[in-house]
Amino acid sequence: MKNKKHLSRLFVALALSGATSFSLAADTIKIAFAGPATGPLTQYGDMQFNGSKMAVEQINKAGGVDGKQLEGIVYDDACDPKQAVAVANKVVNNEIKFVIGHFCSSATQPAADVYNDEGILMITPSSTNPAITERGYKLVFRTIGLDSDQGPTAANFIADHVKPKNVAIIHDKQQYGEGLATAVKQTLEKRGVKVGMFTAINPGDKDFSSLIAQLKKENPDIVYFGGYHPELGLLLRQSRERGLNVQFMGPEGTGNTALSAIAGAASEGLYVTLPPPYDQDPRNKTLADAFKAANRDPSGPFVFTAYAAVQALAQAIGKVGEDPEEVAEYLHQNSFDTPIGKLAFDAKGDPKDFKFVVYTWHQDGSKTEIK
Amino acid sequence: MSARLRLAFFSALLVPLVAFPILGLKLVTVGINLEIQGAAPLTWWIIAACTLGMFVWQLLRRRLAAGWASSPNLPRIPAGTGNFLTRPKTQRWGILALALVALVWPFFASRGAVDLATLIMIYVMLGLGLNIVVGLAGLLDLGYVGFYAVGAYTYAMLGEYYGLGFWTCLPIAGAMAALFGFLLGFPVLRLRGDYLAIVTLGFGEIIRILLRNLTEFTGGPNGISGIEKPTLFGLTFDRRAPEGMQTFHEFFGLAYNASNKVIFLYLIALGLVLLTLFTINRLLRMPIGRAWEALREDEIACRALGLNPTLIKLSAFTLGATFAGFAGCLFAARQGLVSPNSFEFIESAIILAIVVLGGMGSQLGVILAAIVMILLPELTREFSEYRMLIFGSLMVLMMIWRPQGLLPMQRPHLELKR
Amino acid sequence: MSEIYHFFQQLINGLTVGSTYALIAIGYTMVYGIIGMINFAHGDVYMVGSYVAFIAIVGLSMLGLDALPILMAGALIASIVVTSAYGYSIERIAYRPLRNSNRLIPLISAIGMSIFLQNYVMLAQGSGSKAIPNPIPGEFVIGDSAMNGVIVSYIQIVIFSVTFLAMLGLTLFISRSRLGRACRACAEDLKMANLLGIDTNAIISLTFVIGAALAAVAAVLIGMQYGVITPNIGFLAGIKAFTAAVLGGIGSIPGAMLGGLLLGIAEAFGADLFGDQYKDVVAFSLLILVLLFRPSGILGRPEVEKV
Repeated sequence: MKNKKHLSRLFVALALSGATSFSLAADTIKIAFAGPATGPLTQYGDMQFNGSKMAVEQINKAGGVDGKQLEGIVYDDACDPKQAVAVANKVVNNEIKFVIGHFCSSATQPAADVYNDEGILMITPSSTNPAITERGYKLVFRTIGLDSDQGPTAANFIADHVKPKNVAIIHDKQQYGEGLATAVKQTLEKRGVKVGMFTAINPGDKDFSSLIAQLKKENPDIVYFGGYHPELGLLLRQSRERGLNVQFMGPEGTGNTALSAIAGAASEGLYVTLPPPYDQDPRNKTLADAFKAANRDPSGPFVFTAYAAVQALAQAIGKVGEDPEEVAEYLHQNSFDTPIGKLAFDAKGDPKDFKFVVYTWHQDGSKTEIK
Repeated sequence: MSARLRLAFFSALLVPLVAFPILGLKLVTVGINLEIQGAAPLTWWIIAACTLGMFVWQLLRRRLAAGWASSPNLPRIPAGTGNFLTRPKTQRWGILALALVALVWPFFASRGAVDLATLIMIYVMLGLGLNIVVGLAGLLDLGYVGFYAVGAYTYAMLGEYYGLGFWTCLPIAGAMAALFGFLLGFPVLRLRGDYLAIVTLGFGEIIRILLRNLTEFTGGPNGISGIEKPTLFGLTFDRRAPEGMQTFHEFFGLAYNASNKVIFLYLIALGLVLLTLFTINRLLRMPIGRAWEALREDEIACRALGLNPTLIKLSAFTLGATFAGFAGCLFAARQGLVSPNSFEFIESAIILAIVVLGGMGSQLGVILAAIVMILLPELTREFSEYRMLIFGSLMVLMMIWRPQGLLPMQRPHLELKR
Repeated sequence: MSEIYHFFQQLINGLTVGSTYALIAIGYTMVYGIIGMINFAHGDVYMVGSYVAFIAIVGLSMLGLDALPILMAGALIASIVVTSAYGYSIERIAYRPLRNSNRLIPLISAIGMSIFLQNYVMLAQGSGSKAIPNPIPGEFVIGDSAMNGVIVSYIQIVIFSVTFLAMLGLTLFISRSRLGRACRACAEDLKMANLLGIDTNAIISLTFVIGAALAAVAAVLIGMQYGVITPNIGFLAGIKAFTAAVLGGIGSIPGAMLGGLLLGIAEAFGADLFGDQYKDVVAFSLLILVLLFRPSGILGRPEVEKV
C-alpha cells in the first residue's frame, strides 16, 4: 500500500525523462557525465553534475558548438569501480566520444583503461589521485589539483605559520583522505616537524569521543584532518563539547558551508586549504547567480571545475571537430579562459599551476584568506 | 461492517502518516541552518488521492476480490510446465543449451554486452559457490564476499609483488580462499543458524577492514591497480606487447581489435563457470553431496547415522570459498584494479539474493537469477537516481511473487501411477 | 591527562554509545524472538525516525516553539508515531505474505526493503547531510580542568536516563501487562499461542511497532547528540545493533541491553588500543570470541535439540 504513491511519482518521473530523451534532435554532440547519482557519495556527484549541466545549458543557449547542440547524459556509477567499468562500456556502446567524470578516483581509474582502449576522451573534474594521469594515457585530463599538490601546501603552511612542536594527523581511510594525510606527513617530516600521532577513523562514523580522549592525551599543537566535511564537522563539534581546544586544519573536501552547519561555533578559526573559491570570485558573480536562478547550488569544490571542463572541451571541439585525438592534442597545446582561471594542461593532462590557498574558516560558513 | 470500516479508516490513516513527513516536508540547508520547505502541490494531491484510494480499496476489498475471481482468467500455464521446467533432466539440457548459446554469442555482440556478460559469469560462479553453502548444506553465510576479496587480492598482490600471471594465480587464488574458508570455518561451524550468519558477516567485514588498513601490503583504500589481463599461451591482447612477448593480433596477423581482450576474458569466465557446474554436479552424486543435503534436512538424524557434521559443514564451506576465490581472481583481471570498496556487505547480500531468488539448491535457477540481478540495475540505468529504488522494490516483489525461487530444485524421482 | 581520568572517560564514552546500540537492538531481538527472522530493514527504520525527528525539531523552531521540553517532546512524539507506522506497514507489505516460507525469503525481502527505504529517503530529502545544533549544550567536569578530567555532557546524561527508562518500561510491559504476556506466549510457541486464542498477527505487528518506536527514541537521542544525519546512517547502526543483540543473546531483552553496553565499551577501549580504524574489528572479534564460548550469546537460552 505504501508502494503505490512511490509508483505514481515514479511514473511521472519516467514519463518526464522519456519525454526529454525523445525531444532531442539527432544532430547533437553527446557528452557523458559519469559520477555517483546514487549511493553514499551522491552529494558530491551532484556538485559535479550541476556544474557540467549548467555549462552545457549555457553553451547551448549561446548557439552550441559549430551550430550543434551539446547533449549531456548522466551515467551513474555509484562510485563503485565495478559499475564504473560497466558505465565505461556503456559509453562505448552508445558511441559517445567525450566523458566528463568520473568522480571517485577508484572509479575513474578502471574506467580510464576502457576509454583509453576505445579512444574516448575523458576529463575528470574531481578525481585528485595522482596515479590517474601517471599511466601515459593521451586522452585523460583533469581540471582539479592533485593530492600531491595540496598536501605539501598544507604542510608548509603548518611548518611556517603554526611552528608546532607536535602535530597529529587523522584521515578517513579513503583514497582521497589517506593520500592527503600521507603527503602532509611526508612533507612535515622532511621539514623536521614531529608527527606524534598518525591515525585513521572509519568513514561514516559518528562518534569520535574515544579519539578525542586520545588527542587530549597526545596534546598536539595542531590536528590535520584528511577527509570530507561530515566527519571533520563531527570531530570539531565533539572536540568543542569535550573541552579539547586545539587548532584544526582540513583540505578542500571539508571547505563547504555544510561544515559549519554541522560544527557550528566549533568551526570558527579552522584552517582550510582550498582552490580559490570560484563562486565567490567577483568575476564569476553572474555565473554564480545563474546557478542560483536555475536552483542549483554553486558552492562546493567540484561545481566550477566541472563547468570549466565542459567549457574547455566545447572550445576544443569547436576548433578541431569531434575527433577525440585531435581534441586532446588541442587541449594539450592551448589554454582556456574559464571560471576557474586560465586553464592549461601539462603533458600528463593535469592542470598547470593549480593553486591552493589557505583560509581561516568562520562559523557562518564564510572564510578569509591568510596572506 | 463496522470492523471493516475501522480497518479502512486505519489503513487510510497510515498512508499520509507514512508519506507526509518524508515526502511532504523537505529539510533544506539554507546557509548554515536547516529549514523546511513544503513539497509541490502535486505531491499533496497524490498523497490525498492515495489515502482515499486506500480507504475505498480496504472497504471494498472483498467485493473486488470476488469480482476478480469471477472474471475470465488469463490463460494459465499448464500445471505440468512448472514441474517439467524444474526436473533435473530438463535443467541439464537447459544448461547445455545455454552454454552453447553463450559460446557463440559474444562474436556477434557489442563490447559493453560482452563485458556485462563477463560480470554475470562472475556472479554465476559466486552464486554457484554460495549455493553449496546455503542452498545445499543449509549454512547461512553473510560474509561470502570475504573469500571473493581474498581471491581478488591474491591475484593482485602476487602480480604486483612477484609478477606472476593470471594462469599461475588462478589456482593459488582458489587455494588461498579455500584456506581462509577452512581456517574461519573451523571454529564457527558449531554455531547454529542465525548466529552463524552474524559471525560470518563479522568475518567478511574484518577482512575488508584489514584490507583497507594494511596499507603497506594491500595499498589501503587505493587498492592495487594495473593488474594484468590474462594471456593466451603467452600471447597478450594489448595493442603493443611488452618486452619479450607477442601480441595475439600480430601472431595471427589480424588487425588490432580492443574487443578481443574482452571476448577472451569472457570465454575464460565461461570456461570457469562450466568447470564449476561440472564439479558441483559430480560432487552432488558423490556421498559428500548427499551428506550436505542430508545435513540441511536433519542434523540429528545425520549424526545418528554416523556422519560427522563438522567435517561435512567444513567441506561445504571450504569448497564454496574456493569458487569465490576463482571468481575474485577473474574479477581482478576484468577490473584491472581491486580496492576494498568492491567487497562491501551489499555484495554478499546480492549473491545471497541470487541463490535465494534462483531457488535454493537449483543450478539453472542460480544462473537465471544471476542474469536477472546483474542485468536489472543495468537495464534500469536509464532511470538514473530511481535505479536503486526500483531494484530494492523489485527484490521485495520477487520474493512475494515467487518465494520458492525462479526454478526450485527437484531431486530425481519416480512417481507411481495410481 | 592522567591515566585514571582517561580510563573513566573512555568508559563513559563507551557506555553512551552502547546505550544507543541497545535501544536499536531491541527491535532486532523482539522480532527475532517471535518470528525468528532478521529484520535487516530495522536500521533504515531508525534512519527514517531520525529524519522525522529533525523535521519536527526544525519545524517547531520555525514556529517559534523552541523551548527544550517542547522540542524534545515534539520530536519524540512525531518520530515515534511516524516510525511506528513505518514498522507496521513494512511488516504488512514485505514480511507478512512470506510468513510461512523458508526463513531466508523474508531475509532477502528485508534487504530489498532496506535498499528501497534508503533510496526513497535520498530521493525525497536529498543526499546531502542535514545538521542541527546540539539543543542541550553544556557538560559536567570531574577533575581539574576540561583538558585533565572526565567530561560528562548533559546530553550523555539524557541518553543514559532515557535508555534506562525505556528499558524499564519495556521490561515491565512484557512481564506485567496482558499484551506482554501474549508476546511472551508467542515467543514461546507461535502455533500454540494461536490455538489458545491469541491474535498472533496482531502480536507480531505489535512487536514491529514497539521495535520501531524504540528505534525512534534512539533516533531522537542520537540525532540530538551528534546532530548530523544522512540517508545511509541506517546500515551501520543496524549492523552494530544486530551485533549487540546477538552478543547479548538474541531474543532476550536484558541481553540486548547488556550486549549493547558491552559492545560500546569494547569499541571505546579497542579504539584506544588499536586506533579508531580498528574499532569495528574489535567489535566483531569480541562477538566471535563470546560466541565461541557461549554459542547462544551471553544471556541467550541454549537451544534445545528436539528429535
